[in-house]
Amino acid sequence: MALLEVEDLSIGYQTDQGILHAVEGVSFTVDRGRSLGLVGESGCGKTTLGMAILRLLPQNGMVLKGRILFEGRNLLELDAEAMRRIRWKEIAIIFQAAMNALNPVHRVADQVAEVILTHEPETPREVVRVRVEALFDQVGIPRSRMWDYPHHYSGGMKQRAIIAMALALNPKFMIADEPTTALDVIVQDQILKEAKRIQEAFDIGMIYISHDIAVVAEVCHDIGVLYGGHLVEYGDRESVLDTPLHPYTRMLLASFLTVKGKAAKVSQAPGDSPDLVHPEPGCRFYERCRYAKAACRLEPLRYVAASPTHRVLCNRCA
Amino acid sequence: MPSRKKKILEERSRRWRRMERWAQGWAIYKKNFLGRIGLVLLSIFVLMALASFIPPLVDPMYKPMSGVDPEITASTGPSFRHWLGTDFMGRDLFSQLLAGARVAFTVGIASAFVSIVLGTLIGMTAGYMGGWTDTLLMRTADIIMVMPTLLVVLILAALFGQLNIWSIVLIIALFRWPGVSRVIRAQTLTLKERPFIDAARVAGASHLRILFRHIMPNVLPLSFLYMTFRVTAAINIEAALAFLGFGDPGTVSWGMMLQWVWKTGYMFKAPYWLLPPGICISLITLSFYLLGRAMDEVLDPRLRKEGERY
Amino acid sequence: MELWRYARQRLFQIGIIFFVILTILFILFRIAPGDPVSRMIGPEMTTEDAAHLISQLGLDRPLWVQYVYYVKNFFSGNFGHSFHYGRPVIEVIGDRLPNTMLLFTTSVMISALMGVFLGKIAAWRKGEKTDTVMTLLALVTHTVFLPWMALILIWIFGYRLGWFPINGMISEEVWLNPTSGFFAKSVDVAHHMILPLLTLSLIYFGSYLLIMRSAMLETLKEDYILTARAKGLTEKVIRNKHASPNAALPVVTSVGLSLAFSINGGALTETVFSWPGIGRELVFSVSNNDYPLAQAAFLLISAVVLVSNLVVDILYAYLDPRIRY
Repeated sequence: MALLEVEDLSIGYQTDQGILHAVEGVSFTVDRGRSLGLVGESGCGKTTLGMAILRLLPQNGMVLKGRILFEGRNLLELDAEAMRRIRWKEIAIIFQAAMNALNPVHRVADQVAEVILTHEPETPREVVRVRVEALFDQVGIPRSRMWDYPHHYSGGMKQRAIIAMALALNPKFMIADEPTTALDVIVQDQILKEAKRIQEAFDIGMIYISHDIAVVAEVCHDIGVLYGGHLVEYGDRESVLDTPLHPYTRMLLASFLTVKGKAAKVSQAPGDSPDLVHPEPGCRFYERCRYAKAACRLEPLRYVAASPTHRVLCNRCA
Repeated sequence: MPSRKKKILEERSRRWRRMERWAQGWAIYKKNFLGRIGLVLLSIFVLMALASFIPPLVDPMYKPMSGVDPEITASTGPSFRHWLGTDFMGRDLFSQLLAGARVAFTVGIASAFVSIVLGTLIGMTAGYMGGWTDTLLMRTADIIMVMPTLLVVLILAALFGQLNIWSIVLIIALFRWPGVSRVIRAQTLTLKERPFIDAARVAGASHLRILFRHIMPNVLPLSFLYMTFRVTAAINIEAALAFLGFGDPGTVSWGMMLQWVWKTGYMFKAPYWLLPPGICISLITLSFYLLGRAMDEVLDPRLRKEGERY
Repeated sequence: MELWRYARQRLFQIGIIFFVILTILFILFRIAPGDPVSRMIGPEMTTEDAAHLISQLGLDRPLWVQYVYYVKNFFSGNFGHSFHYGRPVIEVIGDRLPNTMLLFTTSVMISALMGVFLGKIAAWRKGEKTDTVMTLLALVTHTVFLPWMALILIWIFGYRLGWFPINGMISEEVWLNPTSGFFAKSVDVAHHMILPLLTLSLIYFGSYLLIMRSAMLETLKEDYILTARAKGLTEKVIRNKHASPNAALPVVTSVGLSLAFSINGGALTETVFSWPGIGRELVFSVSNNDYPLAQAAFLLISAVVLVSNLVVDILYAYLDPRIRY
C-alpha cells in the first residue's frame, strides 16, 4: 500500500462566472522515502492540489470527485476532528517563507512548541523545550535567536524555522509548497539540500511544489507536470528529464538548458493560460502547442503509457 | 477640422467611460441592502426638510420658532391641530421637527463640505510636497485631532459669547479636517509613485497642475466618502451643543427641541416630545453612516470578496 | 528595555502637543473681546484679594511675562479662583477629576472589550444570524444621539422601573451613615454609575465591534492563519490565539484616535446624569461665565485625553512586537 494515493482528483472553485476547474482528473502515488515534484506555471493547480490533501482549500473551493488515500484511509471522508489530528502530526506542510506564514505577534520558538503541545499535550514543558532546541539546532538557527519574533528573521531563517516546525512531530508525509521562492540563490541551495537530506534521513514521503523544473529535478524522485489543472506528464525523474513527451514539458525543459548538459530543441510558444471556467473537452495546452491539430481541442484526453513508470496526457503522442 | 473632431470624440468617450463607472458603482451599491435602507431614510429626511416650508404658510401659528397656538399655554399631546403635540409654550412640535431636518442638512453638509475641502487640500499638499511642509501640516493635524471638538466649541462660546449657526458650522469644520487629510495624504503618497505622475512631471507639468489635474481626480472619491462620515459628526456636534444650551437661539434644531423637553421638566410626561427629535438625529446619522459604508464597498474592491482566495 | 524608549519618545511628543494647546488657550483668552483681567478676577472679590491675585497671575505685567506666569502657574496648580464656587479652581478640579477618570476609563475599557469580544464572534459567524444581529445592533447603538440615549435610559430604568438612581454619584443616606463601610460605599457608587456607564458603553462599543469584525475577517485571510490550520490547531485556538491578537491591533489604534471623541460623550453623559465630573464642570462654567474654571477644566480634560493616548500607544506597542523593537 502506497503512503499517499491520489485517485482521479478534480477540484473546483466557485466564482462569479461559474465553477473554475482548477484541477481535473489527477492521479499519482507517493511512497515512503520517495518524493514527487509537481511543476507548472502559476494557476496550474499545483498549490490547490497541496491544499486539498490537507483539506485546507479556501471556502469557495471544493473537491468535485476523486479520492485521497493516506495509508489506505480516504482523507476526504474523515470528519473535521479526525482530519485535524492528521494535520501536521502525519502530514506537515512547508509554506513559502515569503508568505506571512509565521504569526507576527508570537515568538518563533513558541510557534514551534505549539505543534508539540497541540498534538502531544501530555509532553512535559521541559521536554518540549529540549525538543524545540534540538529542532533549531537541526535546521541551523542559533539558540540565541529562538525566542525572537518573526520580523527579526531573514527570509532564510524564517524558512528554516518553518522546516523546524514541520519536523517537530516526525510526520510521515510532507508537502513543500515553493519553499525556496523569494530566497537568494545560495540560501535556496542550502534549503534544498536540507530538505532532501531530511526527507531521506527520516524516510518521509514528500511532495515538492515548484514552478521551477530545475529545482524539482535536483530534489525529487518523481516528477509530475501540471498544465491548466491536468497532470500532463508524470513519471520517474530520469524518464521525464531524458525523454520528455508532452510538448509543455519540453517547453519547460527548453528554458532549463543545462539539464545533463544538453539542450532540448523546442521553441517557446506564446499564449495565455487556458480558460478554466469554460474548459474545452480536449487538451488545454492546445492554443500554445505547435503540434496541435484541430482534433486536439475537442477529443477527450487519454493517458498514454510510455513505460510502466511514465505516462503522458496527449493524444498526439500516441 | 479632423483633430477637433477627434477631440470631441475623445471627450465623448471619456464621458461615456465615466458614466459607465458610475453605473458599475451603482450596481455594486444596489447589492448592499443596508446601503439601500440608508438611501431611503435619507430621502425621507430630504422630503422633511423640503416640507418644512409648508406649515408656516398654512397658519402663522405653525412657525417653528415664533408661532404660538393662542389657545394653548402648556405642552399638549398629539391632536389633529398639532400632529405631534405642542411644546411648553404652545409651539407646534411637528413644524419644529421639519425645520430641524433643514437645520441638520445645512449644518451637516456645509460643515462637512468645508472640512473635506480643507482636509483634501492639506492632505494632498502634505503628501505631495513632503519634507517640512508635510511635517508641519501633519503635526498640526495631530494636535487638532486630540482636541475634543465639542469642548473646544464650548470654550469658544464662553470666550466669544453666543455663537450663531454659521460660526458653529465653521468651527466644526476647522476641527474636523485632520482625519480626512491623513487618509488623503496616504493616498497621495501612493499615487506619487505611480508612473503617470512621473510622466506628467517629465512632460513639464507644474506642481499645481500635477496636484489638481492628476492627483485630485484620484483622491476625490475618497474625500467624497469621508464627507458622509463628517456630515454625521457635524450634525451630532451641533445637536449636542444645542442640547447643552449653546445652540444658535435663532434656529430650531433637533438638539434644541431635546434641550427644551429636558429643561422644562416635561421629560417624563411628554414622550411625544422626547422621542421624535432623538429618533430623527439618530436616524439621520445612521442613514449617512450606512451610505458611507456602502460607498466604501464600491470604492474598495477588497471588501467585496470577503473570505475569497484563489 | 525597548518599550521604555518608545514610551519616553511618545511622552515627549505628547508633552509638546500639550504645550501647544496650553499656548493656544493663552492666546484665545487674550484675543477674545472684553477685558482679560476681568476674566480671571471674580466680580465679588474684595479689592485686596483681587490685587493679590492679579500680581500672582502676573496680569499687570507685559504679555510675555504673563505667559511665563501662566505656564508656571499651570504646573504649580494655581488656576485662580472659581467665580461660582468662590474657591481655588484647583480644589474644585481636584474633587471632580477622579470622578471623571473613573467613568471615562471604565467606559472606554468596557466598550473596547465588548467590541473586541463581540466583533470576534460576529466575524467568526460571518453571514449567520448572530453576525447580522450584532452588526445591526452595533450600527444602531453607534449612531444613536448620546444625550437622547441617556434620557431614554433614565426614563426607562430610572423613572419607569426605578432600578437605578437618575442623578449624582452617591446617596447621602449611605455616605452620611457612619456604619456604612467601604464596601457599602463602593456598591452605592457602582449603583449610580451603571446608567452613565451603560450609555457610554452602548454608544461606543459599536464602532469597535465593526472595526474588530472587519479586521478579523482580514486577518483570517492571512497566511499565518492557514499555517495555524495546517498545524492542526483547534478552531478555538486559531481564533483566540492566532487571529484575534492581530485583529485587535486596529481596534487599539481606533480607541486611541477616538479618545477625544469619547471625552465629548463623557461630558454630555456627566451633564445629563449630574455626575460630578470635570466635563460637567466645564459645561457649567461656560454657562456661568466662570472663566478660570472653564480654562482649567479644558486644560485638564486635554491632559486626560493625552495621557490616555500615551497609555493606548504603550498598550499597542506591548501587543505588537513589530513596534516595540
